Formats: sequence, C-alpha cells, structure tokens
Amino acid sequence: MSDQPSGFTFNGRPVALRIGQSVAAALTEAGQRPFRVTAKGEKRGMFCGMGVCQDCLVTVNGVPNQRACMTPARDGMQVATQVAFAALTEQPAVQTQEGRQLAPDVLVIGAGAGGLNAAIAAAGSGAGVVVLDERKVSGGQYYKQAAGAASVLDTQQQDGAALIAAAVSAGVEILSEVEVWGVFEGLLVMAHHEGRALIARPRTLIVATGAFERPRMVPGWTLPGVMTTGAAQTLWRSYRTLPGKRVVVAGSGPLNLQVALELSRGGADVVMVSESARPPHRQPLAAARMVAAGPRLAARGLAMSLGLRQRGVNVAHQTSLSRVVEVENGLKASFKDAHERQIDHLVDAVCMNDGFEPQNEILRLLGADMRYDPAFGHLRCKRDSTMQTSVPQLYAIGDCAGLGGAPAASVEGTIAGLAAASYCRDTPVPDLRKLQSSLAAHRRFQQRLWALYDIGPRDLSAQDDDLVVCRCEEVSLGELRQALGTAPGHAGTVKRATRAGMGRCQGRYCGPVTARMVAERDNRQVEDRSFYAPRVPIKPVSITAILAAQEMLDGND
Amino acid sequence: METIDLLVVGGGIVGLTAAIAAAEGGARVALVDAAINAGSNANAGSLHVQMQSRFIRLFPDQAPNVEASLPLYLSAVKEWERLDREIGPFELVRKGGLMLAESAEQMAFLEQKAAREARQGLHVDLLGRSELDKLAPWLGEQIVGAELCHDEGKLNPLVANVRLRARAIELGVDMQIDHVTGLGQQGHVTVHCASGRVHHCDKVILAAAWGVGSLVQGFGLDLPVRAEPLHMNITEAGAGQINHLIQHAERSITLKQFGSGQIVIGGGWQAQSRGNQDVPGVLAQSLLGNIALAARLVPSIGQLRVIRTWAGMNTTLDGKSLLGGVPGAERIILAVPGDAGYTLGPLCGRAAACLALGNEPPLDIDPFTPGRFSA
Repeated sequence: MSDQPSGFTFNGRPVALRIGQSVAAALTEAGQRPFRVTAKGEKRGMFCGMGVCQDCLVTVNGVPNQRACMTPARDGMQVATQVAFAALTEQPAVQTQEGRQLAPDVLVIGAGAGGLNAAIAAAGSGAGVVVLDERKVSGGQYYKQAAGAASVLDTQQQDGAALIAAAVSAGVEILSEVEVWGVFEGLLVMAHHEGRALIARPRTLIVATGAFERPRMVPGWTLPGVMTTGAAQTLWRSYRTLPGKRVVVAGSGPLNLQVALELSRGGADVVMVSESARPPHRQPLAAARMVAAGPRLAARGLAMSLGLRQRGVNVAHQTSLSRVVEVENGLKASFKDAHERQIDHLVDAVCMNDGFEPQNEILRLLGADMRYDPAFGHLRCKRDSTMQTSVPQLYAIGDCAGLGGAPAASVEGTIAGLAAASYCRDTPVPDLRKLQSSLAAHRRFQQRLWALYDIGPRDLSAQDDDLVVCRCEEVSLGELRQALGTAPGHAGTVKRATRAGMGRCQGRYCGPVTARMVAERDNRQVEDRSFYAPRVPIKPVSITAILAAQEMLDGND
Repeated sequence: METIDLLVVGGGIVGLTAAIAAAEGGARVALVDAAINAGSNANAGSLHVQMQSRFIRLFPDQAPNVEASLPLYLSAVKEWERLDREIGPFELVRKGGLMLAESAEQMAFLEQKAAREARQGLHVDLLGRSELDKLAPWLGEQIVGAELCHDEGKLNPLVANVRLRARAIELGVDMQIDHVTGLGQQGHVTVHCASGRVHHCDKVILAAAWGVGSLVQGFGLDLPVRAEPLHMNITEAGAGQINHLIQHAERSITLKQFGSGQIVIGGGWQAQSRGNQDVPGVLAQSLLGNIALAARLVPSIGQLRVIRTWAGMNTTLDGKSLLGGVPGAERIILAVPGDAGYTLGPLCGRAAACLALGNEPPLDIDPFTPGRFSA
C-alpha cells in the first residue's frame, strides 16, 4: 500500500483523503457538509466533532450509523449518506474475536490532560495502570494532537506529545479507540475496542472524561456547517482541515478567541468573533483580579486578542448569534449587538461555544454525589482532598467533575493518581500539600477568568416555539413548553411526553435545558435528580458489541 | 367539608382509565399519584394475550389462575382498541404475537399450550419453519417453529400515557402529586396524604399496583402483592420489518418494533430495586443476556445500536387480577391487574369505575374479588 492514500467514495463520488484524516474531516475538506437525513427529512452534518452529538452519522462499507468524526478515513472506503431508517440486513455471522478482560490497579478513562497526569503519577508510584481513550490519538481536547503525518503546530501540541511520551515511558498502557459503553456497581467497566469486547474490573477507577461544548440554541443551529468551536479546532489541529473558507465564531469564553486565531492563521477568513460578555476593559476590576491570579495565562490571552487584531479579525463584544439561515452559497449568520442592531455575515461555517457541560455520565451512573453549580449551570461532582468521590475507589478529575480547565485537571490528575496508587499498594498517601496549593491557585485563576465571561446557561424564554431544542428527536421549544403546562414535576416526564432526550445523543444537549425549565416552572433548585436518570449505555453501542461482551463473559464464568 | 365522588389513588394505566371512565360517567374525580416508580411509565407496550412462558416458569403456582383469566386478556385488548379509536391513536397494531421454539421439545410445549389457549377462546396457530419464513424470514435459522397468537399486538405506551392523561385533565379530573398515608371508611372515605391534605370522598379506587398492599393492611387483607423490577432496552431506528410481538417458548424476551422504527427489547429481565425514591438500577447481566438473546432470535438487528436502557416496576399477585370492594369497607375498591398490567389496565380501570359508580362492570368480577385474601 502506498503512503499517500488516494481516497474513498461518498455516495459513489471520489473524495480525496490525507493520512490520519477522519471521514468527517475529509468530507468537510471536499465541501461536503450534509452527512445524514433525519426522520423529518432535515439535513445534518458534523456538530460536536467529538463523538457526542451523533449527528454526523454516515454508512461506512454498508454498516449504518457510524460517526464520521470518530471514524478514520481509509483508502477505498465506501461512505454514504445516512438515511433515517437503516435497512435491517443480516450480516454474515461475526467471527467474534477473543475479547480482553483487565483487572488493573488503576483504570483511567480519558487520555486528556487530567487522565494522562493521573496515569503517570499512579504508574510512577508502582501501580499497574491502563488508560482507555475514545479517540485515535491521545491528548484530549486541550492537547488535541495532530493525527497522522501533520506536523506539530505549537507548544500546546508539543506539551501534549511530551505528556503522552511520559505516560508511555512510565509503563502506562494506553488503549485508543475504546468506546466505554457501560459501567456498573462494583466498578465493572464494559467497552468495545477494535471490534472486540473489553471488560475491566479495576481496583480503582479514575474518571477523566472531560466536557463537551454547550451550544447556543438559535434558529438554524442544527444546519450542516454549524458546529462547535471545538469541532472546528479538531478539524484544524488534528487534521489540518479548515471548517470552511469564511467562518464566524460565536458564544463566550477564551476558546473562541484561540480557535478564531488558529483558523485565521490556518488561512480561513474569520469574518467575526462574537462575544456576549462585555470587553475586559469595561470590567477593569474583574480583569485586574484575573491578571493578578495568573499573569502568565493572562498574557497569553492578551496575545491572542492582539493576534486577532493584527490579522484584522473583528471581535464584537456584547454581541450574540441570533439566527442561522441556509442561503444559496453558504450560511447567513445573523447577530444582535449591544444596541439590538442586526449584523449579518455570509459564511461557510458557524462555530459556536457557549460554555461547557461535564461528561459526568459514568460518575452519575455509579451514584457519585453531585451538586448543582448555578454560576456555570451544570453539576459538580463532590470530592475529597484526594479527588475521591462519594463512591469508594472512584475518583473524578478535570472537567467531568465540573469545569475547571486543563491546568487544574492536570494537578487533580496527579493527586488522584498518587492517591489511587497508595490505596492499591496499601501505602500512606504522600504529602499532597504542594499539589493542593498549586491546584488552589489554578482554581482561583479559573474563577476570575470566567467572571469576565458569560458562562451561565442561556435563557430561551425569548425564543420562538419552533426552535429545535432536541436535535435527535427534533423536538421544539414549543413542545417542551406545552409539556411544562401539564405540571410534569420532573424532566423525565417531559422526556416521555415529548421524546426530548430519547435520541442517540441521549439528551446531552436538551437534557440540561429541560431540567432547568422544569425546576424554574416549579420554583425549585436544580439538583442531580433534576436531570434525566443516568442509564447505560453511556454511548450508543451496537447489539453485536453487546453480544461479544456476553459471549466473552459466558465463556469465562 | 368538601366531598368528591371518587378519589383514585395511582396515576398509571389503571388509575388514569378508571378516572376517565368515572369522569365520563359524570362523577367528580380527583387523582393522587405519588410520582414514584410507576410501572406504566416504564412499560414497553406489549399487548399480551397468550400465556407468557416466563410467567409459567417463574410462577408455576399462579399459572392455573392465568390460564383461567385468558378470556380477560382478549377483552382487555378490545378495550385498548376502543381507547385507541376514541382517545388515540396510540400506534396500536394487532398483527399477532409469535412465540418462538428453538427445539422440538419447545415446539411440543407450544403445541400443548396452544391447545389449552384455544379452549379458552384464543385464536392461535402453530407454524412450522416454512410457514414462519413467509411471515418472518428474518428470524434466526435455528428457530424451528412458533405459536402465532393472532390476538396479540403492541402499542406505544408513551403516546398512550400522554393522551390518556390529557383526556383525564380535559374531563376535569383533579390531578395531584401526593402520597397517601392512611385511609378509613366512616360513612364516606377519608384519605390522608403526606402533604397534610385530607380528602373526603364517596368512593376510593386503589390503583397503586404493588403499593396497595400496605394501604389495605389495616383492613384485614393480606395481599401477596410483589414489586418486580424489570429491565428494558431500545435501539436506534431501523427500517420497518418486524410487525409481530416476538416471544420465546422457554426464555424471557419480548421484542417488537415501534412506529418510530426503534426495536424495544425486554420481557422480564431483572433490574435492581433502589428504594422508592430512585428508579430501579440496570444490571449488567440482564442487559447482556437480554440483548444477546434478541440478537440470536433476530440477527438482522445486530447492526443497530442500543441507545437506552431503563427499568421499572412490574407487579405480581397470584396470577389473577384484583377487582372489588374491600370486605367490610366496600367503598374502597381495589383495582390491580394480575399480570401483564399494562394490557389488562384499561379493562381493570373501567371495571373499577363501574363498581364505584354502581354500574354493571364490563366483566364478571366474582373470580377477582379481594375476599380471597381475607386473613
């Protein structure tokens, strides 16, 4: 086989590909944005870019409902638009390959900043460590490594590569492209890895699953070409693919600025960055507090702003995305500024990030105690000073426990890794005071940083009834409002009445909205129980994969 | 003192249909639901008529009662069809249910079962593999034959629950979330609730499934009512193919395809009770076992992904339904289906409403009266 693959086909037409590209990246580069058609006939494309939203589904070599963003493109692949109702066709009996059972001292789920640091610390203390990661290349969302042949972009990627190398040389076994689909009481973990079942019964479990991005739900947010800022960043950083030629970035928070700059440097025409918060110079006290808490990171932020200005990218503060409409030669993105004036831009891609939602499914499934953080509008996992949750031997680190950023996640990882290893080796937990004071400093900076942004959940009360809230089941805000009228008492009742949250993304986007709407209606505080009940599978899992796990356990028990 | 005609305890399928029937009959009705672990909210929408093999295996002592109740299941499905016409549609489809055999022994068991069911008036046929291939060519090749019960079907319980609830509200039923803590009959019935509220009513229908046991303890009734937490699974949508309700002659499974294209797999696999305030937990062995069995019976679903599992409370008694007044406190009427509660629910609900209103119930309730459990 040659080193330079020629390509694959999409609906029979040739698509060029570069080594390491995902199907979603190669299709985007070819200008192909709609990937699937919904039950109501709507076109959908890549949205989250990280395996969460399930909207980039395609049929690959006859196998339906494959996530284009998580599927590496290969030479000669036959890729097709995913229809809403996949044909039920009997496949030749799968030659179930031997599965694998693991019982490591420490199992880490997620190979991002937190997970890698946890693994390094635990392995360095003599524990046997296995890391499971969903992506092909480790590093997580922060270190976002280049896939395949793409060269290292900057120090952030360099640091990530060094961290991965450190984990490997510490003796950590990292398993990539592992889909963890089930966790059960007693720390039983079920996963699928390269067509085989993987079942783990670790002595300690460190959950480092990070967060996914909160969208700005506006009319048109489900259109192909509208994606999260992180999805656009993955396209660029991992695959050297631009989300489009003309791009706008919308929402709130520093990631939007960073990605806008990266895309601009990569050759995109970044037409505008809209930031719903006031500019830092209009919040001088808060800005000064942020700088005092982290002068180095603050300087990086300032450099990003200057970089954008030098490149002529307009950062419009107090300006918010209000609507996206499909037009003949792209998308028309409309914004409202502080004076309620409308600004329109014709673009190829709209990138949005309006904060983050923790990927806390595993923690909630195992019954870890949570509390609601109203400032961020999401749950935080309760932990002791060693990052252990209310469930013994279950640790939570990084953004999955509540947004805290990569530097804090790294320190939390080291603490949890040391503590888990101590438990396994029955040795006293080492002195963590230095780590804990560094963690406190990172958290102080994060708190002051986010004070400058508009990080709370969005209020949808001004939106029209026809706004789509549940992407998967295509449930509108009006339907949710109608269900609220019957005094549902719980988000689960709204779910059963409207189907919001019953689709493939399992309520990740509409769930938090529904939980808040019900709580507001009943004038109650949001709490863990306000959200949809956590259930396996954590991500959709094929019946064949479950069968493989069952056969493996059957053979061994 | 404000007195209403009827208080219904329990807002599941039995309570809703009882409240609707009573309100349609002109009664002033309130309904109290504790909003915990309701079975109807977790139901998967099978309309059962033939005897479920799981039931015969798990509760052999109750099987004769179920067999004697078979005509009730027929009437119950007809009641569902009436509601589907009048209040629906609930995506109700009655194309029959196939109970599959994977061996000659299982086929022999089905032959016996079919003969017994035919005597009770069920419309059943035994199909060999070649006949089965015309109906369901997608079945696994190891399947040797099946019993087809033409009376069976399926519906979408999510749709049905929403429509029935809306109908009850439209009829003026006063819906309350509350928990009954005590009740007594002195002339009228007095019902005390956790909120502190006290209801005075002419009649009460207890339609709280497994919850009725503790409510009637003070009345000299020892109900063998049991909550059975059960597990279910649903896949993403596939193209329409499976019309029948699929079961197995020996093993626990129900499998069907909803109008949405999704495949629902359940049939009585165990879940884990976590007390009244939490929904039951999903067990690994049930998920694995239930799905693996489904994949062997219908291999063509293998590529679909399971997107959700859930668990809810089934209620078992002695195989027979419970319908009628509490001995010595006849204004308190019990309405608990014997098994397959969602199928029997509307019929039981209407029967209880008739009893409350002093009308002739749509079935002979003599075999079902609570007196059989008098201490």
